[in-house]
Amino acid sequence: MLQINNLHAEVDGKQILNGLSLEVKAGEVHAIMGPNGAGKSTLGYVLGGRPGYEVTKGSVLFRPNTVRAELVEALPSSSNTEEGKDSPSTSSGRTDGWVDLLDLDPDERAAAGLFLGFQYPVEIPGVSNVQFLRTALNAQRRARGEAEISAGDFLRLSREQAGGLGLDMEMLKRPVNVGFSGGEKKRNEMVQMGILDPTFAVLDETDSGLDIDALRVVGEGINRIMRRPDKAVLLITHYQRLLDIVQPDVVHVLAAGRIVKTGGPELALELEREGYGAIAA
Amino acid sequence: MQLDLPSNRAEAWRWSDLSALPALAGEPKFAGTYPDFHQLPWLGDAPEGPRLVFVDGTLDADRSNPGPIRFGPVEARAEDHPLARLAGQQGWSLRLGPDHAPTGPVQIVHISTGAADHLPAEIALDTDAQASIVETYIGSGWTNRLTAIRLAKSARLMLSRRLIGDSGFVSLTDRAELGQAASLISVTLAAGGTDTRLDGRIDLQGEEGFAEAGGTLLARGRQRHDANLVLRHSAAHGMSRQVWRSVADDKATCSVAARVEVARAAQKTDGEQSLRGLLLQRSATINAKPELEIFADDVKCAHGATVGEIDRNALFYLASRGVPVEEAKALLTQAFVADAIDRIGEEAVREAFHADAMAWFGFPLPLGEEGARREAVGR
Repeated sequence: MLQINNLHAEVDGKQILNGLSLEVKAGEVHAIMGPNGAGKSTLGYVLGGRPGYEVTKGSVLFRPNTVRAELVEALPSSSNTEEGKDSPSTSSGRTDGWVDLLDLDPDERAAAGLFLGFQYPVEIPGVSNVQFLRTALNAQRRARGEAEISAGDFLRLSREQAGGLGLDMEMLKRPVNVGFSGGEKKRNEMVQMGILDPTFAVLDETDSGLDIDALRVVGEGINRIMRRPDKAVLLITHYQRLLDIVQPDVVHVLAAGRIVKTGGPELALELEREGYGAIAA
Repeated sequence: MQLDLPSNRAEAWRWSDLSALPALAGEPKFAGTYPDFHQLPWLGDAPEGPRLVFVDGTLDADRSNPGPIRFGPVEARAEDHPLARLAGQQGWSLRLGPDHAPTGPVQIVHISTGAADHLPAEIALDTDAQASIVETYIGSGWTNRLTAIRLAKSARLMLSRRLIGDSGFVSLTDRAELGQAASLISVTLAAGGTDTRLDGRIDLQGEEGFAEAGGTLLARGRQRHDANLVLRHSAAHGMSRQVWRSVADDKATCSVAARVEVARAAQKTDGEQSLRGLLLQRSATINAKPELEIFADDVKCAHGATVGEIDRNALFYLASRGVPVEEAKALLTQAFVADAIDRIGEEAVREAFHADAMAWFGFPLPLGEEGARREAVGR
């Protein structure tokens, strides 16, 4: 579903990602762990398309579940050496549903099915959550050539998703993240994810700032929304704790801008026990 | 007609550009027909009330239902204001006796088909009378108005104006005097293609008066909006609010000079000014000039003036959720101006003004949750 090849990226002229490669297949949850400054958040922003995060080399291929045919047609064909059902084929990149993510604007990436959960969700005074989400969902639907959601259906959907994350519907009528506690902001990210229903989620330290109970609610929210055979998650985290609830299929260690070790869930426990120093060395 | 216009060497006119007015006044009026009655921008959801249509400053009696509004000589002093003194003596007046109120808001549409037109007006509300007036300015010429407002004890006036003409110039001059515990709320939205000059002088003469004067100025291209307001507290325990939001794109200019004067007798005055500007391009200009002149010693006067740009973090956050950048900018800009428009009390008027602002941004549908909720209930 997502294939990152030899990704190099810089911020303000400073090289942060140094040849990062990884592949996530549909139905999988991957965790990326690593020390501060390893490039974890940069990876999230590069995938989301944040201005100022410049890719200097490499590619990111993405196969969304549903995407406008003309969007795929318009993109340059991708070439890749990997074979397999869930990998882009070498012969015709444009017909098998793979898109070069880096060619898309941030809003197009979202419409294609990518969701970026922010480590620090942004406050937007004057725009209510309901207005924000309805605008976003309808923009995505328009981009995919689908009909807009009716107000009634939208309210039902948001009530259901807010309820699932233990957020009061009244909070969704308030301006986006304004006056929300750290934990409420992270729950709100998950409510957004539930409403937008992405194919692939990159969650950047969604566990930070959460107490034990909130961590469970958020973790179960991730499982409920994203643990599906046709979806996948890249979980960026410092700590093992979230991984007890959202159990990863693959764990990567990121250090100095590249993946230095990949393993199963046991790798996360090993990191917790021995620290990054020993593993990343 | 020879026009005697001020130059921008005078401090009160430094940000104005009146140079186009003589040519505009000399242009021929539009010879065709103006929009049909039903296509005029009446408020859809507002309760039925008096309706007036002025075409080039002349009442269109066939398409008007003036209710309590009369026509003839009006008592409106222009003093030495160079534009207001052109307004003349014959105009419309709304004089309400004690405790009177028109049914529904008074809606007035001013159509300018070209050239210049001038019209004075008088709004005089007796004790406890109240009215809501919504004026809409459309067309392409130079529309010049002088409005005198006199509010007796506990009278209340809500004055909402939207300037949504295609081109040309609109100049509005207000002179307001408020008696004891009277209340005036004036909100102006400039969301069309006209240049504007707004002048206001509001005097809180009676104790415990309340005045709110503000608005939203949206400008693009080489448009210029220029608002000049003096709010004078002459008596004690008065309260005033000035909330202005300016948005300038391209090479446009928005200027707001807002002044609060507190006389020696006006103890316990509570005044607040908030002048905020948003630059959509760095080639645009926003001027904000808050002024305080206080002679009383026991007053509370807060003032703030800021000019900024769209928050890039918010823009990326919206984009990451799928909102295209132009729509995201519109949403953030709408949020920026919302609190100035939200001062309008009646929902139908407020929503219409929000919709006009969104239309200026290029997104005709009101995205507000109130609208969404109404829709949901309707289903």
